[in-house]
Amino acid sequence: MADVQTPQPETGAPPPAGTLPTGEAILQVKGLNKRFGGLQAINNINLDVAKGSIHAIIGPNGAGKSTFLNCLIGLIEPDTGEILFEGKSIKGLKQHRIIQRGIARVFQTPQIFPGMSLTENVTIAALSKRDGEFRFNPVTPLNASNSATEEAQSVLAQVGLADQRDVEAEHLSRGDKRRLELAICIAAHAKLLLLDEPTAGMSRHDTNRTIDLLRLISEKGMTKIVIEHDMHVVFSLAQRVSVLAQGAVIADGTPEEVRGNPKVKEAYLGGAH
Amino acid sequence: MSTETVSGPVRPAAATGTRSMGREALILLVFSAIVLSMPFWLPLLGGYEGLATKIMVWAIFAVGFDILLGFTGLLSFGHAAFFGGAAYVTGYVFRDHTSEIIVAFIASQLGVLVLAAAIGFLSLRRTGIYFSILTLAFAEMMFAAALAIFAPFTGGYDGLTMRTTPTLFGMPMQGLYVFYMGAIMLIFGFAVARMIKNSAFGLMLRSIKENPMRLQYTGVNVWAYKMAAFMISAHFAGVAGFLMVVYEPYVATKFLHWSTSGEVVIMSVIGGVGTLFGPIIGAGFLMYFENVVQAAIGEQWKLVLGLVFVLVVIFLPGGFVQLGAMIWRATGHKVRERRHNVPDMEPDTQRERNLG
Repeated sequence: MADVQTPQPETGAPPPAGTLPTGEAILQVKGLNKRFGGLQAINNINLDVAKGSIHAIIGPNGAGKSTFLNCLIGLIEPDTGEILFEGKSIKGLKQHRIIQRGIARVFQTPQIFPGMSLTENVTIAALSKRDGEFRFNPVTPLNASNSATEEAQSVLAQVGLADQRDVEAEHLSRGDKRRLELAICIAAHAKLLLLDEPTAGMSRHDTNRTIDLLRLISEKGMTKIVIEHDMHVVFSLAQRVSVLAQGAVIADGTPEEVRGNPKVKEAYLGGAH
Repeated sequence: MSTETVSGPVRPAAATGTRSMGREALILLVFSAIVLSMPFWLPLLGGYEGLATKIMVWAIFAVGFDILLGFTGLLSFGHAAFFGGAAYVTGYVFRDHTSEIIVAFIASQLGVLVLAAAIGFLSLRRTGIYFSILTLAFAEMMFAAALAIFAPFTGGYDGLTMRTTPTLFGMPMQGLYVFYMGAIMLIFGFAVARMIKNSAFGLMLRSIKENPMRLQYTGVNVWAYKMAAFMISAHFAGVAGFLMVVYEPYVATKFLHWSTSGEVVIMSVIGGVGTLFGPIIGAGFLMYFENVVQAAIGEQWKLVLGLVFVLVVIFLPGGFVQLGAMIWRATGHKVRERRHNVPDMEPDTQRERNLG
């Protein structure tokens, strides 16, 4: 157990923040459109997310960031366009099937199983990886020696929650609930993690801890798309930033490039009145 | 943050998924002893042999119902469809075909299988209160059909009457034989429910009650697990309905009535939802009340029962089992906190905000 406490950057460490990632795309979005009544929520988005990178999506309120994320996990069906994950289309698939392909999502309010112990929380994710979307196995008792429970313990150790593994999840602090949710995503062996404002409402201290944690799981080769308002988070983490405004990508590049872009300033000022 | 002390209750490490086989065996042994000896101790409390059999019937029903309501958090108001459906199939086999209970058992379970697949498939398209209403609607449709279109088969308002004495390989099944058959079925059903509770499958069911959305976003087919829980609980209801007709070879229209569905809900809530023991105690309590207490206090028994129900819901949301836990704690033992809500029934505003 001791060796899992210290994460080893075995799989190619990500390039430092601010360097445009190169290499193959894990996610390709092509010509995505979504209209709600008279509102063009998503306007012809084209986006490639490089494998192993941290890709931030920023933009003023109502820019379509959450809608975009919801399209990726099948919660909203886009009108036109194509979403390819690892080269295969995931458009129109049921949500749990998309997740089974290796995508996971972290919500603004941490979504966990409140009345269950941390071990149980993470074991559920490990089981979904081991047994797939459904398995009728009511006979075998779930022992501590079970492969899924063992995996849960080791993941809890990685995110620094091992000491509290028997606590019921609802008693955790908000920052620790976020860690638990990330542990659930790690145990499900997600290849692409979607984070919707992971540090919203957190203190600077908690925010920095979350940034450290997100870096840590990047070292394991997990790709991330982060929606974020907090520029501190974006500039500490992301290698690439896409700026959304009124459903369209108006700027795209390294954080430095994006920061100097006049269109971005205009979008933010325009959205502030 | 992890250095912060956590105020919540801490479970002993052994409780996290690990339940020793020895402990399970002991629980089952004690449970079997209490159930099997019921014909000896129930008369001391003013009960009678037939009441013990009725308690078996309803306890089987309630244990299965707990897999759906207590584990999975789905409140069905239409389980009379499976109880009554199985009772009618059993009665039909006894009246027109054979008195062999094995034939009737298989036929009634096949009937429940078809019925539960259809009603579950349609009702589980919705969650929360809408699911409850759909199950109620399907059960009421069956009740109406039994009285009208299917009256030639069901005997309409008169119910299904028969002169048969059920037999097992030619041996007549009456009195204590029926009780012991029911007792074995209850012990078996209880063991199956405990096994489910401790399995990976059971963990998935319990997590549906906790947060179905998180489960969906962990790559699990929540609908399939709900369907499985629904089918299992329907079969328990079917076994109970079958046993009811073996006990008393007559099928009352009441078996399909919504009040039958309501009764099993009351038993579960009064006893303690999600505890398996609780609904069994609730079933025993309600049957005892309906028979023994009614004989003692007359027609007001329903009033008194209503009062008991209200008091339990307000002061003991965890049912009689919570009372036991309180006494246990008061005598200096450690008890793990339980939550007694059914989250699936509550609109979660946070959840909706997130998806917006």
